[in-house]
Amino acid sequence: MNRAFLFIILVLALPLSLAVQDLLPSLPPCRERIQLLPVVFAFGVLALPLVPALWFALFAAVVQGLSLVQVQAGQAEIGLTLPVVFFLFWAIVLQMAGEATKGMRWELHAAGSALVAFTMLSGEFLALCFRRGGFPADMTVLVRIAVPSVAALLLAPLFYLLLRSLVPLAPEEEQQGIPKSTGPVR
Amino acid sequence: MKKILITALVLLAVTAVAFCTLEAGPLLHLKSALLGLLSPISRSGGAVKSSLGDLGKDLMTLEQLQSEYDRVLAENRKLRAENNGLRDFQQENNHLRDVLGYRERSSFRLVPAAVIGHDSGVWWSTVRINRGSRDGIVPDMPVITDKGLVGKTTAVSDSISEVLLVTDENCKVAAKVEGTREQGICAGTRSPGGELQLTFLSKLADLQPGQKVYTAGVSGGIFPSGIALGTVKSFRARELDGMAVLDPTADPAAVEEVFVVTGAK
Repeated sequence: MNRAFLFIILVLALPLSLAVQDLLPSLPPCRERIQLLPVVFAFGVLALPLVPALWFALFAAVVQGLSLVQVQAGQAEIGLTLPVVFFLFWAIVLQMAGEATKGMRWELHAAGSALVAFTMLSGEFLALCFRRGGFPADMTVLVRIAVPSVAALLLAPLFYLLLRSLVPLAPEEEQQGIPKSTGPVR
Repeated sequence: MKKILITALVLLAVTAVAFCTLEAGPLLHLKSALLGLLSPISRSGGAVKSSLGDLGKDLMTLEQLQSEYDRVLAENRKLRAENNGLRDFQQENNHLRDVLGYRERSSFRLVPAAVIGHDSGVWWSTVRINRGSRDGIVPDMPVITDKGLVGKTTAVSDSISEVLLVTDENCKVAAKVEGTREQGICAGTRSPGGELQLTFLSKLADLQPGQKVYTAGVSGGIFPSGIALGTVKSFRARELDGMAVLDPTADPAAVEEVFVVTGAK
């Protein structure tokens, strides 16, 4: 029951995070945007068991992919294939990381959020270079990838505390000390 | 239990493949649906941001005076935007109608809109406005301010539209340079610093800083002729063509109120 509730809350949090990040002001020096969706995604795949985590990753991919869809001359620049593969890959990696570190921790969530944000923005840039041609990688591009990733790293602990206080994370398992499929939440 | 897990994984794979094979049309429809889903949050968030921004002003002035001032200001901007288009149209008409047989064009029909959010995508320059299909907006409509071109509409839901800004690499606009016969293609850059690039100019164009650039209004294009795009910042001849860097006339990243050109009057 708790896991179903957690899944629903996290699924609702995805479009909400997208709407909120669009309303947030941009960061200096190059008007970089704060990325909240990777933070929620990392929390979700660490907190859920494997199969629900994969479904959650698919939903995250669809939400993120659709938000970025730009149609040029009847063709979608980046369809949903890249986000689907990307988020499913990270869901599996973070699940394995959760298992390896014996449970979900705020440090793992913070690192996961930053890595997902960094690779997501880098992947988008590479996909655009492949699609449009050219490779205009310079310091500005690096800053535009690095600043949102660092922002995700710094915001992740706050979200971890917020989401943990909002969502009852399998308390029966914590009481019994039995790790769930991704390990106990600490 | 194992059977349920396997079924869930097979379903996941089928759903993922179904999403991956979606064409541009259904994707755009789904995006419009997502915009519609987010519109209550975006609109109320935008309203809260706007009221917070206006808090100081409201404390300083009488409410009625403020309301009247806003109305007159909006009216003034609308008239200036119309005037801008009319003046350029008139100029173009006087010079070229007899020679090139350009069709007579009328002034614009404008729908005022407020920017309610900036897309958080890093590599795309888009904003969201509080007007949608129920206000007569459809994709590929020009969006302007009293100062000049802002962009064009892309995805449109009932009450919200996405605007691809002129500073985006994908927003390509046919442009002409004031006082010359030079025409080229104006677009943003992938790593937008707020500048525009005007390419496919003659290598001998020798444009000077400060020269104004307007939309050229090509046949079958989206953008009408004579809308201000920017001013020349620098020019350099490349191997095959000339390229100018422009400062956009309207700063799309800072714009708060825009007009959507829905057609001619």
